[in-house]
Amino acid sequence: MTGCDDYGANVQLFLDRELSGRELEEYRAHLEECETCRVDLEAAEELSHLLRRSRPLYSAPDALHRKVIQTTELFPSSTPYAPPHLRKRVLKVLAQPLQTARRSVLRWPILVAAILLLVGVLLPIPGILRQASANSYIEAAVAAHLSSLNGSLPLEIKSETPNAVTAWFAGKVPFNFRLPEAAEEVGHEQVYQLAGGRLVNYKGGYAALVSYQMQQQPISLLVSSSTSATAAGGEEVSSGGIVFHYSKRMGFAVITWSTHGLTYALVSSLPGSGRQSCMVCHQNMPSGDHF
Amino acid sequence: MSWNHDGIGQADTTGIEHLDGLYSYARILTRNRAEAEDLVQETYVRAIQAMGRLRPDSNMKSWLFTILRNVWYNQLRKWRNGPQLVEIEVGEGVSNDILEPSKNAYDLYVSKIETEQVRAAIQELPVEFREIILLREYEDLSYLEIASVLDCPVGTVMSRLGRARAKLRTLLSATLKGSDSPSVKGAK
Repeated sequence: MTGCDDYGANVQLFLDRELSGRELEEYRAHLEECETCRVDLEAAEELSHLLRRSRPLYSAPDALHRKVIQTTELFPSSTPYAPPHLRKRVLKVLAQPLQTARRSVLRWPILVAAILLLVGVLLPIPGILRQASANSYIEAAVAAHLSSLNGSLPLEIKSETPNAVTAWFAGKVPFNFRLPEAAEEVGHEQVYQLAGGRLVNYKGGYAALVSYQMQQQPISLLVSSSTSATAAGGEEVSSGGIVFHYSKRMGFAVITWSTHGLTYALVSSLPGSGRQSCMVCHQNMPSGDHF
Repeated sequence: MSWNHDGIGQADTTGIEHLDGLYSYARILTRNRAEAEDLVQETYVRAIQAMGRLRPDSNMKSWLFTILRNVWYNQLRKWRNGPQLVEIEVGEGVSNDILEPSKNAYDLYVSKIETEQVRAAIQELPVEFREIILLREYEDLSYLEIASVLDCPVGTVMSRLGRARAKLRTLLSATLKGSDSPSVKGAK
């Protein structure tokens, strides 16, 4: 028989289910014969049972649970608005009347009516999907802004210099964008201050979240590729060939627009209509005349 | 939440079921409730951002614990450049959610006391003992998984776990004797 010294470490390995095969068989056989090892094992099990009775060691507070859920919902997985299986089902439904028409000519008026009904239902879908995409982007921007406010999305770069923040995003986001120079640098009074930025996930890809401060109020700018984000709906304000879409969501003013392949969503607590909201930042700039 | 891996045969996985475990790990690393909450949130944010790089056959649980640990030690490294005031919470009460509704009042009381004693004893351990006890006894990670989280050899896991348990047994000796006592175990 092997001595207890050779099995000293096996108490722990046996307890942690790290023994297998021949080692496990030998140790079990040894336990049958050795009371000293059985006592050691019982003592180890006793501690282990005590610890396991106190599971979980800490429970996450409800507030944290909600925050994590909110954070995870902010970063949805890449789910297209018209999933392939849905498209297949629609095509299948459209094809059905033609197939059945061969079997029963008497049913063709009903089938034509069904087709017309389906076409009537499906025609507005591009517009609906476009608005759904725009709403999704607005919701993501507001959620990001909220998370910034409650500290759950801390800035990854803190800088008041647009060039530094632009350089930080370069290569991190799948698009090129450049933050405008500060107003004071172009000879006008600066009404907002850049605070920094961070990466966020939007529809499975990276988007840029840029933070500003204006009159002690934080402003968030979500920038994403126009392939994944859409600006639509709300009160429309045209300026410089760009259509700005103003809406209110959860008490925040949200302005979205698309230009040069990028879609922007600006979220703030600024009061007033879309035009008034734009003027808060642009009143002292040359672009102010456009609003 | 559903995190999808790209590609055919993608696996729907969720990380939210590890929230208590991650929070416990954060609590024993930071020894501070607010810090722990921030750490867990940051862990989920980082995890979601990096989800695309996670292979479908990866072990998400140990991956999340690894992220949390890396975030924490990166923060510590930054803080070393400037002094930070970190409040250490001692003698904290036991939250209600650890209690099992089927237990009677006396058992609940014993359970609360016991859990408080266990928490206090674990928090007295050095951080390398605290985390290895949590990963093994509370999270059931294998030695290999623990080695991966702690970025150390499996042999180190074994020896460190042995020393951590020995120390913890000493700290909990009174509780262990008490739990043997019929007056506690079989009362009411």
